[in-house]
Amino acid sequence: MSSAQYELSPPPSDVISAIRFAPNSSRLLVSSWDKNVYLYDVRAPAAEQLVRKYSLSAPVLDVCFGDDESHAYTASLDWTVRRINLETGEDTVLSTHKAGANCVAYSAKTDLLVSASWDGQLHVHALSKPGQPPAVIQLPAKPFSISVTSDKLVVGMANRLVDIYDLKPLEKLAMQHNAGTPQTVEPLQRRESSMKFMTRAIACMPSELGYASSSIEGRVSVEWFDPSDEAQAKKYAFKCHRETVDGIDVVYPVNALAYHSVHKATFASGGGDGHVALWDGATKRRIRQYQKFPSSIAALAFSPNGRYLAVAYSPGFEDGKEDMAGPVGVAIRELSENETKGKGAK
Amino acid sequence: MGKRKGHPSVEDVLARPWCYYCERDFDDLKILISHQKAKHFKCDRCGRRLNTAGGLSVHMNQVHKEQLASVENALPNRQGLEVEIFGMEGIPDDVVMTHNTRVMQQYYEDAAARRAKTGNPMSGSGEGHKRKQIKLETPDELTKRFQDWKRRKLDGDTTMGNTEAPLPLPVVDPAPPVIPASFGQPPPTAAPFAQPPFPGHNGFAPPGGAPFMPGFPPGQAPFSGAPMPFAGSLPGGAPGSGLPPRPGFAPPPMSGVQFPGAPGGTAAAVDDLIASVTSQGAKPATPTEKKGKGKDKTRMIYSDNEISPEEKMARLSRYAFTAA
Ligand SMILES: [Zn+2]
Ligand SMILES: [Zn+2]
Repeated sequence: MSSAQYELSPPPSDVISAIRFAPNSSRLLVSSWDKNVYLYDVRAPAAEQLVRKYSLSAPVLDVCFGDDESHAYTASLDWTVRRINLETGEDTVLSTHKAGANCVAYSAKTDLLVSASWDGQLHVHALSKPGQPPAVIQLPAKPFSISVTSDKLVVGMANRLVDIYDLKPLEKLAMQHNAGTPQTVEPLQRRESSMKFMTRAIACMPSELGYASSSIEGRVSVEWFDPSDEAQAKKYAFKCHRETVDGIDVVYPVNALAYHSVHKATFASGGGDGHVALWDGATKRRIRQYQKFPSSIAALAFSPNGRYLAVAYSPGFEDGKEDMAGPVGVAIRELSENETKGKGAK
Repeated sequence: MGKRKGHPSVEDVLARPWCYYCERDFDDLKILISHQKAKHFKCDRCGRRLNTAGGLSVHMNQVHKEQLASVENALPNRQGLEVEIFGMEGIPDDVVMTHNTRVMQQYYEDAAARRAKTGNPMSGSGEGHKRKQIKLETPDELTKRFQDWKRRKLDGDTTMGNTEAPLPLPVVDPAPPVIPASFGQPPPTAAPFAQPPFPGHNGFAPPGGAPFMPGFPPGQAPFSGAPMPFAGSLPGGAPGSGLPPRPGFAPPPMSGVQFPGAPGGTAAAVDDLIASVTSQGAKPATPTEKKGKGKDKTRMIYSDNEISPEEKMARLSRYAFTAA
């Protein structure tokens, strides 16, 4: 019996920063520190999986689709946020941050593209108004990860801060004439992370009721937007991506989180230990853990139809590391019917 | 012919084969074994039933490229893969002891309740049973034997201290027995261990594979006795920090773990994930609480709490870009 797992070819040549599925197809964007964005079709036969490669001038730290698969949006180490026309390959600078741009996210309902940068600012782009400069939002700290729902934006930052913004006022600001002056916007909620260490990844629930976040210290927390005591009491956190070696608890960063789009309580975590685990967030159970990948898990994505899990692995930065050598690849796992189903109702 | 239903003797009850993973008992060993294959050793990807957890682990590894994280439908502290169970074989002594104590306690409680209700003497005690009598120990004797055993075992095995405690509730498996109970047969008496060895038992290591990798299920750590230096890390001021301590977290014995009590996969509803849920807010971190107190043997692969790994990478010369 063969396994339903295969590698995309050719893979990027350096550390992977992000992978995203197209909203309505089996196409997958991969961004890499090798300064390229790769567009694959995960269902194509092995030799033809790479549809096209787009070369930029600097390492690409994040990528996403817009409302269709015609364009990709990138955040780069050269501070720029770009739009790539995936048909023609032409790329356009949408805005330039004051430091490396590390995150992009697109919210379809508001047609907003949000980018984040180590300069501590967000750029909110109204894609419906081409040429419009973005609203510049000043954050209380350096952002590390962002995730959107149809009406909210969650920003995980330094100092263990987590802001939850309403997209509506951001949309309003983005539609106005912007002089590029940073503004502060009152978040819906400003939270302190429920984990003690740096936030590594944030993923909103497909139910849009809350989000999961992970830290550099082998831990994942799940919490809800609803500020009521009742909803907040459901919050939980748990340890994962650790191993005991010679009596020492080796703790890996949890680099990636992704929710399943169909079984909405199911999410995957990927760690510096090369492991990917599936969790049932409702019953708080681990559903399964996959065989260890050859290097750190860099990013995870479920396809919109829930049939595929894409796992990007590449060397992870560790304390004292000076080179980033090691295996790089994107594994596609074809998910069987029950593979991502929760375990509660047996 | 068959024993009188309803009032078995205590040795009848003690002699019943039972499942290490879920504490359910069975009329005979064959039923127990098929129960284990169906409930605990079944591959949820392809439905194949294996003989042991180790066999399932290898199967999942080789066929599905997955790692078995824990034994399905098992009680919270019985999910581990370290223990190799087949039928009644392989159950650790202390678990056997705890089980017997619990069964006996339950038996005497029931009997006492029955006596109180009916005024009848205990059944089973005066009847001439043909079967060999099992030497009975009182719960006190059992406890003492257990203590002795524990003392002998104490050094080196840190997991022992809190692994087992008498289970307060009989665990009810909501599913019907796999095979209809055969009342015609006398229940097996002694020697449930006489099962012949089966293929693969103890020999399941795949070539070049390491089914029980040291780094195995990260989430399974909570009962391994490892200290949790950062438990209760939720700062006092964070929203929702007033969480009550969650059951199922480390020190209290397993009886503290919630058994929702309802049928429908009760035991199965609690496993490694919930077990590792940190008791947030139970003790808010104080400013003096230092991360990683010297003694804690913890090593973070990435420990800079201010600068992200990507920022560090950006400083490596190979990624230096020259602004156009
Ligand atoms: Zn069982
Ligand atoms: Zn199978």
